[in-house]
Amino acid sequence: MRVVKNIFSQLHTFVLWLLASALFWGWIFTFVTDTSPEKKVTVYCRVPAVEDTAMAAALERDMPEGLRMVQVHSFDYVMFGTDAFDRGDVFIVPASEDPDFVKDLLPLEGERGTEIYDAETGKGAATAYIQYGDEDYYIYLGSGSVHLEDGAAMAVARAILALE
Amino acid sequence: MDGKVTELYGGDIHARLERRMKRWRLVLCILAAAGLGACLVLIALTGTLNAQRMELRCVAVSTAVGWVVLYGWMFVVTPARRELAHAAMLRREERQRLEGTVTVTDEGFKIRKSVAVRRVEVRSGEETHRLLVCESRAKDLAAACPAAVYACHGYVAAYEVTA
Repeated sequence: MRVVKNIFSQLHTFVLWLLASALFWGWIFTFVTDTSPEKKVTVYCRVPAVEDTAMAAALERDMPEGLRMVQVHSFDYVMFGTDAFDRGDVFIVPASEDPDFVKDLLPLEGERGTEIYDAETGKGAATAYIQYGDEDYYIYLGSGSVHLEDGAAMAVARAILALE
Repeated sequence: MDGKVTELYGGDIHARLERRMKRWRLVLCILAAAGLGACLVLIALTGTLNAQRMELRCVAVSTAVGWVVLYGWMFVVTPARRELAHAAMLRREERQRLEGTVTVTDEGFKIRKSVAVRRVEVRSGEETHRLLVCESRAKDLAAACPAAVYACHGYVAAYEVTA
């Protein structure tokens, strides 16, 4: 009874500790779950829905050497405008994507992006993780990627294409 | 009047308080270190798939351990430290002997950033001295039925029982 009375007399301190704890670990885990661009490959998907964590974990199973992690984000992740797009390594975009944006991306081979999803047949790669819209989707490499020379961006893009 | 003088914070009580404070401080430090260690282990085990779960676990561990440590610090260590400081003041300062009927009242309160106290009245004829005694020592004082008390800055520091 005395313990309960004591706790209630300082309830604000205990609640503050809970909030501080949540904030502190949230901040710490932003560092734990991130690393420098040189040690990660970032995939951006302009799709209705993507299971980012599961897809990243699937891609990390066969990660190119020298990488620590693969990150998968929907385009909403950078909706407040950062330079993240400039440093993105792999992009999955719909056929209707803004041509001004697409012209800055690099195709995996040839002149055009590689088709990752065909809306007509409903077949595509990584459908277990990505919910595509009602149009074709293409995969590109980011022109500002730091993993163009070491081939890691290409390796991850190929790994996405190989995902079921 | 010749009687036996008993210090409210005699050697034994003072040493016990000091031991208690140090023991609790050590226990709380070990607990805090263990909590931090557990969180570091959780971080080491963090991967892409379990990151959210591990973050929640870290919050749960640090909150629970923090609450226990905070409780111990606020309600065990700090009161013991304040009582020790109070006892040191009573042992150090000048005292005044007050003779009369000593009554420990039920009226008590907590002095901010200090100890919890009870009122003590010492009646000698028409004159009444109003003193304070540390809550934790009030029971001893009341049970002793002293004939005189030694006051220091308005607190009872010792009492005298007639032989």
